[in-house]
Order: sequence, then structure tokens, then C-alpha cells
Amino acid sequence: MMGNLVQKASGWLVNVAIAMTALRTNLMRSILTTLGVMIGVFAVTLAVAVGSGAQVSVMQSINALGSNMALVFPQPDTGEGGRRSFDRGRLTMRDARAIEKQISGIDDIAPQLRTNIQLVVAGRNASTNAVGTTPGYGKVSNVVAESGRFISEADVRSAARVVVLGPSVARKLFGDYDPVGETVRINRAPFNVIGVLESKGSSFGNDNDDIAIMPITTTRQRFSGDTLSGPDDLQMLFVGFEDGVSLPTAKREITKLLRERYRVRGKDINPFTIRTTEEFMKESAQVTGIFQIVLVAIASISLLVGGIGIMNIMLVSVTERTREIGLRMALGAKRSDIRNQFLVEAAVLCVIGGAMGLILAIAGGTALTVYADFPVPIGVGVGIGAIIFSAFIGLLFGGYPAVRASRLSPIEALRSE
Amino acid sequence: MALVETQDLVKNYELGGETVRAVDGVSLSIDRGEYVAIMGASGSGKSTFMNMIGCLDIPTSGEVRIDDIATGDRDGDALAELRNQKIGFVFQQFNLLARTTALDNVAVPLIYAGLGGDERRAKAKAKLEEMGLGDRLDHSPAKLSGGQQQRVAIARALVTDPVILLADEPTGALDSKTSEDIMQIFQTLNDQGITIIVVTHEAEIADHAKRRIEFRDGKVIEDIMTKKRRKAGA
Ligand SMILES: Nc1ncnc2c1ncn2[C@@H]1O[C@H](COP(=O)(O)OP(=O)(O)OP(=O)(O)O)[C@@H](O)[C@H]1O
Ligand SMILES: [Mg+2]
Repeated sequence: MMGNLVQKASGWLVNVAIAMTALRTNLMRSILTTLGVMIGVFAVTLAVAVGSGAQVSVMQSINALGSNMALVFPQPDTGEGGRRSFDRGRLTMRDARAIEKQISGIDDIAPQLRTNIQLVVAGRNASTNAVGTTPGYGKVSNVVAESGRFISEADVRSAARVVVLGPSVARKLFGDYDPVGETVRINRAPFNVIGVLESKGSSFGNDNDDIAIMPITTTRQRFSGDTLSGPDDLQMLFVGFEDGVSLPTAKREITKLLRERYRVRGKDINPFTIRTTEEFMKESAQVTGIFQIVLVAIASISLLVGGIGIMNIMLVSVTERTREIGLRMALGAKRSDIRNQFLVEAAVLCVIGGAMGLILAIAGGTALTVYADFPVPIGVGVGIGAIIFSAFIGLLFGGYPAVRASRLSPIEALRSE
Repeated sequence: MALVETQDLVKNYELGGETVRAVDGVSLSIDRGEYVAIMGASGSGKSTFMNMIGCLDIPTSGEVRIDDIATGDRDGDALAELRNQKIGFVFQQFNLLARTTALDNVAVPLIYAGLGGDERRAKAKAKLEEMGLGDRLDHSPAKLSGGQQQRVAIARALVTDPVILLADEPTGALDSKTSEDIMQIFQTLNDQGITIIVVTHEAEIADHAKRRIEFRDGKVIEDIMTKKRRKAGA
């Protein structure tokens, strides 16, 4: 049994040696064939990596939003298609307070008004998105001031002209100088810079640090103009929950509360929309999943072409070496010996090509990560998978030529020229 | 007991609707230790006959028995095993693997006999040394003379210790001096007890054999024991 196994192993080793000799004999041809597989494996490996990189990116940007929260918008939820009894969405500061008071498990809330602003200081200027909110925003969205402080309840109460700058905005206006305590003009009014936020990086080329935060009352007084219809209206509300709170349940409870407040009955459309980070994650996972499948499918075509190249070259190799096959049969080679010889040859071609493709993909992935700021993780699993997969391609496309070789009649093969 | 036995052996080829009877009902038996020369005009069926007793070709009808084994009911793999164990082939064109050393060429049959690498090399080396090629182990065929190449081929045919050596015009590609060397080797082998069947056109080659079989149109027309047996080196 053991001896038999050793014998088998050494038989395969002989096949590898025969294959290497044959491949070296037609070196140029072998290299070109390998190239096809290399490109195919490169494309597939990179596609898989880019796909999972996209997934990571999406998850990162959702996490940047805040981990466990519901987002409420004053936008009629047309999703379920019932009767429409509101001409516009509804969401007010009073709703926010009611939610905070009556829903359990809430960590903090962050009512928001958003508007574009121009900041000017000493001839430099920057435009950014200003979030008018309450101190709760810091907690819900995981942002803290790196220097200085975040906005306070007192700032909100007094509608103070204070602003916390995102790192990108601070850099644009002040360079490397710490701007805390400086004055900037926002739409001509002087504001005191009270803090600079910690960096949250960027996701999908979207700079999370290009932001300014001020008290919601200040935004309402100075910037909302006629964009809002009521004096108490909100553009958005973040509701942050404690860890372990079920978001679907929380969403149901908020919906119930707001429906009561707006007296929405039966199948009527809600004048508000609620989304949770959990939903975002699920949807993104779906989208990136499809993205990945499409990407891999396209890349697979090049691998298929590489495989056909292998089959072509193996058919040529079998034809060229018909006489050798006949000779080996005369000397005692069984069908399986001949078949295995050519299978191993195809597999060796593919594994070499696969290994080179993998190396190329690792290089490409690293370049993307470094230069395009897009994570392309090529894990050990992907690497091993690529090698096994390319061996499989070899067996698949080398199979037909190998079986054809093994079916030759010894005498006809020997007589061929 | 007969080592090679054929019974009404027939091989037909269909060529453009016509049937060519390449071998036409040959029954003969060759004993262990014989040295047989097969002669006959070109196209008389010598090679076809040799290929069938070498189990390389399947007869249209009739039977071939090797060492009392009926070959008709054996499949391709079983025939491959039989060839590997009992039959050594020497071809006119040597049929060595190009870009492969003499040693590795000789070791090929041992791969299929299932021997390990060390054992293969040891046996192949011993056979090549017997053929006087101990200093050419690492030479590829391209670096060997025709006679040397044929000696490598003979070493390969003998490396599995077969009972029969089949040689189809083994000197056809060699000059007369080298041919004589090869014949000396065959003589020595036969003296050691190996059964030899050789196809040839040349009377001088046939003269080495103890028995001569003449083919014409696929049939045996003469089968005689030639008494004169030359001594080695004569
Ligand atoms: N594969 C084949 N297909 C068709 N006819 C064949 C085939 N092989 C041999 N023949 C025919 O069978 C006959 C015998 O051929 P064979 O090769 O046995 O002759 P031979 O005696 O060995 O001749 P030579 O001395 O020239 O080698 C010839 O007429 C040949 O044309
Ligand atoms: Mg012939």
C-alpha cells in the first residue's frame, strides 16, 4: 500500500519531469501560452480583489456615518404606494424631542440643517457643506474635536457664531496653523473657530473631512432663508442607538410615533422616511455583490481565452509528438500514462501562468491601494484559489488533447511522421 | 514450448474500397532461444506481421500467443503491460527521444514498469555499459553516431529483461561496418538465450540467424533452418 503510493508519487514526478522537458523544448511557445493564462488569472484575481475592496469601502463609508443609527428625512415615503395626504415631507424639532423622549435605547440624537457656505479668511476662501446641529451629532456620528472643542448646548441656546472646521477646510484656510480662536467670515458674518475635527479620511473619493459644523440655531437664523417652510423644520435627523438595540424594532417604533403625531391612517403615505445603517449595509452589500459578479464574469472571459490557448497548444503538442506517444506505448505506456503526461504538461503551464498572474495582481492591487486610495485586498485565500483554479483550467482544457493522445493506436502513432 | 505462436493470422487494410491482404493466414511457431530472420520483397507483409506479434497492431483475424498468453482477449493496457515485460523493440530509425540523454532514453520502459528513479538509473546505466556506452550516458541522441544510437536503442529494448527482441530492419539506416557491430551484439544476446526475430532485406544480416522465414504477398513461402551458424567474431 505504502510502496504503491510512493510508486504513484514518483510516477507523477516523472510526468512533471517529462512535461518540463517538453515545455523547455518549445520555450517561446510555452511562454506565450503561459502569458494567456497569466493575463486571465491576473484579471480574475484583481476583479475579485477590487470587488471585495469596493465592499470594504462601502462599509467604511457607512461606518463613517455612525454605526448604529436611524436616519429620518422629511420626505414622503412613496415606497409602499398608498394615498398621498401630504404635499411635502414633515419633520420638526418637536418631533425630534418626542422621539428622544419616548423611544427607548437612544444614545443621542442629532437634528440637522445643512447648507452650503463660503468661508473667507485673510484672502483665502473655501466653500463647504455646513451642518447645523446639536452637541449630540458628535456622539452619533463618531466625530470629536482634535483641537479646541465641539459645539455645546450653550452655543445652541444662544445661536452663537461659532464653527468647528473639518481638517480639509482648516487646511485650506489656515494651512498647518491651528486655527482655534481665529475668526473666519462665513457669508460675510464673523465666526469664531472653536475647534477642528479629527480626520475621518475619505471613502470612494469623497472627502469626509470637507465639512463645517455649527449650532443648528445659528444655521436657522442666518442661512436657511426661504428653503424651509416652517420655523421648526429639520432637514435631517440622526437617531443614534446604544449597542445591541434592534434597529428594525426601533424603526417600527419611530414610524408608529411619527404616524400618530401626523395622524397618518391605514395605508396612507408617511410624510417622512426612515432608513437605518443596517439597511444601508444590506443594500450596499447587494449592490457590491452584483458589481463583483459582473467584474469577475468579465475577467473570466480572458481566463477562458487563456484556457482555449492552452487547449490549442496542447493539441499541437499532441500532434507533433504522435510518434513519441507511439514509442512510449510500444515501450509499455498505458493509456492513463499518456493521458497523465499531457495533463501534467497542461497543468504545469497553467500553474506557472497562474503564479505569474497572481504576482502581477498583487503588484496591481498594491499600486491601486497606494496610488488610487482604494483598498484592494489580495488575501492568501485568493492567492491559493488562483493557483488551484489555474491548475483546474489546465486539467479542463488540457483534458481533451490528453485523452485524444491516449486513444491513439500504438502502431498508427509510431508510423506517423 | 512455443514462445511465439500464430494461428491463421490475417491483417487486411481497406484502401479506397479495395482490401489489401497485408498478412494472409500465417501460422507458425517460434521457440525460446531461436534466432529468426524474416525476409521478403518490399510490401510482402513483414512489418505488418512483426507489429502483430509485437502486440502493437491488432489482427483482423487469427491469433497471436506470446509465452502461452492469448493476446486476442487482452485490452490495450494489458497489451502495454505485456510489451513492457516480455518484448523489446529495435526500430530502423532508432526512435530515441530527442533532447533526452542516453540514460533517460534507456530508462523510459522502466517508468512504465513502475520502478523508482534510483533503480531506473542504476539498471539503465548497467545496460548502457553492457552496450559499451558507459562513457556516453549523458549524451543526447544528436551527439551520438548512428551505431551508438542503435546501441542505446538496444539497451532500451533490453532494460526490462524481455524474452523476445523484435527488430524491424535494425541496420537499415547504418553502414555495413556498423551493421556488423550490431549483428555481433545480437549474436551475443542470442547466445545468452534471448529469442531474436529480425526483419531484413540483406542476406548477410539474415546469415546470422538460425532460421529464415520468407514472405511473399502476405504468406510464408519458405521457412528453413539454416545450418550454418557463424561463430562470434568470425
Ligand atoms: N496502414 C496501412 N494502410 C494501408 N495499407 C497498408 C498499411 N500498412 C501496410 N499496408 C500495406 O500492407 C502491405 C504490407 O506492408 P508491410 O509494411 O508489412 O510490408 P513490408 O514487407 O514491411 O515492406 P518493406 O520491406 O518495404 O518494409 C503493403 O502492401 C502495404 O501497402
Ligand atoms: Mg517493413
